[in-house]
Amino acid sequence: MRRKRVCFVGYGSTEYSRKSEESQLGHYATAIRAALNQTGLNKKDIHGLSITTQASPDTAPHVAEQLGFELDWVLNADYGGAGGVGAVRRAADAIECGHLDVALLVGGNSFDRSVAHQRPLEYQRGNFVDVYGYGGPNSLMALIQRLHMENFGTTLEQIGKIAMAQRFNAMNNPQALFREPMTIQDYLNSRMISDPIRLFDCVMPCSGAECLVLASEEKAKQITDKLVYLVTDAEKVHYQVANMLPEKTTFGMKVVGEKIFSEVKREDIDLFEIYDDYPIAVMIQIEDLGYCEKGDGGKFADAHDLTYNGDFPVNTGGGELSVGQAGLAGGFLHVVEALRQLRGEADGHQVKKAGRALVTGIGWLNYGRNLGTTAALVMERRK
Amino acid sequence: MAEARAPQKSLPKINPVDRPFWEGAANGKFLLQKCKSCGKVQFFPRVACVDCFGELDWIEAKGTGKIHTFTLVRVPRNPAFKDELPIYYINVILDEGVIIESRLLGENKENIKIGDRVKVRYEQTHNPEIKLPCFELT
Repeated sequence: MRRKRVCFVGYGSTEYSRKSEESQLGHYATAIRAALNQTGLNKKDIHGLSITTQASPDTAPHVAEQLGFELDWVLNADYGGAGGVGAVRRAADAIECGHLDVALLVGGNSFDRSVAHQRPLEYQRGNFVDVYGYGGPNSLMALIQRLHMENFGTTLEQIGKIAMAQRFNAMNNPQALFREPMTIQDYLNSRMISDPIRLFDCVMPCSGAECLVLASEEKAKQITDKLVYLVTDAEKVHYQVANMLPEKTTFGMKVVGEKIFSEVKREDIDLFEIYDDYPIAVMIQIEDLGYCEKGDGGKFADAHDLTYNGDFPVNTGGGELSVGQAGLAGGFLHVVEALRQLRGEADGHQVKKAGRALVTGIGWLNYGRNLGTTAALVMERRK
Repeated sequence: MAEARAPQKSLPKINPVDRPFWEGAANGKFLLQKCKSCGKVQFFPRVACVDCFGELDWIEAKGTGKIHTFTLVRVPRNPAFKDELPIYYINVILDEGVIIESRLLGENKENIKIGDRVKVRYEQTHNPEIKLPCFELT
């Protein structure tokens, strides 16, 4: 394919050595600093980061957290010897599409396996979190939920209403692990896991999978007459990473929402599939997406019917909270449910007017803040 | 047949990047990274300033701050902590303006509130060379 507006603008290298005390991240930092110095670019000019390595299982978001990059695009270009070329090709795609204007592509290795700093994920959690008896994601979300309750007066009943609405949605979804009705008393009485996070705030790990098929418009028309288009999409990785006093109750979804709703009107969305590892995460995303003011998520839950037949349908099949979290299928569950709704195939939990759906994904626990990765897309049914 | 071994509490794997921090803790000092270029402080220890990508120095923090938020861990990721539950897992805003994740110890921890003042307290681990910076109410 012909590239139209992609150029090479600079480079940076490190010294090479047989044995080095320097960590892999240290090598990355040296090469990146050299490239920034050569080009005169500032760290804040960089919107995309690709990592290519054979030494570490760590991925671009972790490296970005360590190095302080807030990004619109990340890539693990782990394609062996083709990683360099592969990274260039993908970055060029992204640049041509307008996702970003400057990408840093980094490849490297530290041959000294004794350097514990090799693996950013293992390092950050291992040295500064797990040593204190941390409770995993349940505890991270507990820290956030406590702040939301303290700062905004959000009540457990308001948070529980989200879990209850999703359970109602799950009752007619044969895929859901939990289909019995849930009352607010059931929610409030469920076992405390990491105060104020209760058992019914937590997703159930389970086995399963989700799959999606995408095709060009031309091809899609040959396959089905139920045409669902990807309308717009955006992501934010490590929102405000350089701020040492981050606002924990605001996710990168705030920036993602601004991008999404510069293309589609907020009021034109018919249903919402919002990543729900915890009800408080759903509430915060509703705020971040601009459906109410920051801190008013509790009042919003009080004022709206969040079930599939309500005025603001959220997680119409029960979400991960009721269906279950089959590992990374969790990120696909919401897209598949949106597709089912837009095709009119959600028997027993079909939203009446399902023309346009908003789907979100959040993930990646980061230190002292909230979530490292956030993304969203809008899908639309067209005749 | 291998004998069943009790799980060990997690310990940091000290490395060249954060060694000054852990050596400081072992000697009763709370060290933070400070950027040589822009002067901002940061935590946890990293290889570059997350604000301007400058190179880093170490400074000694006062070891005092306030509770930003907290949770009582009742299901720890590592079962070795089971005997100590609930764990008062806290986020502290140090007076230098950075958030530290840690643990609250001491007599009155049951009365914990957001905004409470705390000071650092170093806890000996099962490795004689490693102490963990924890906090107690002031």
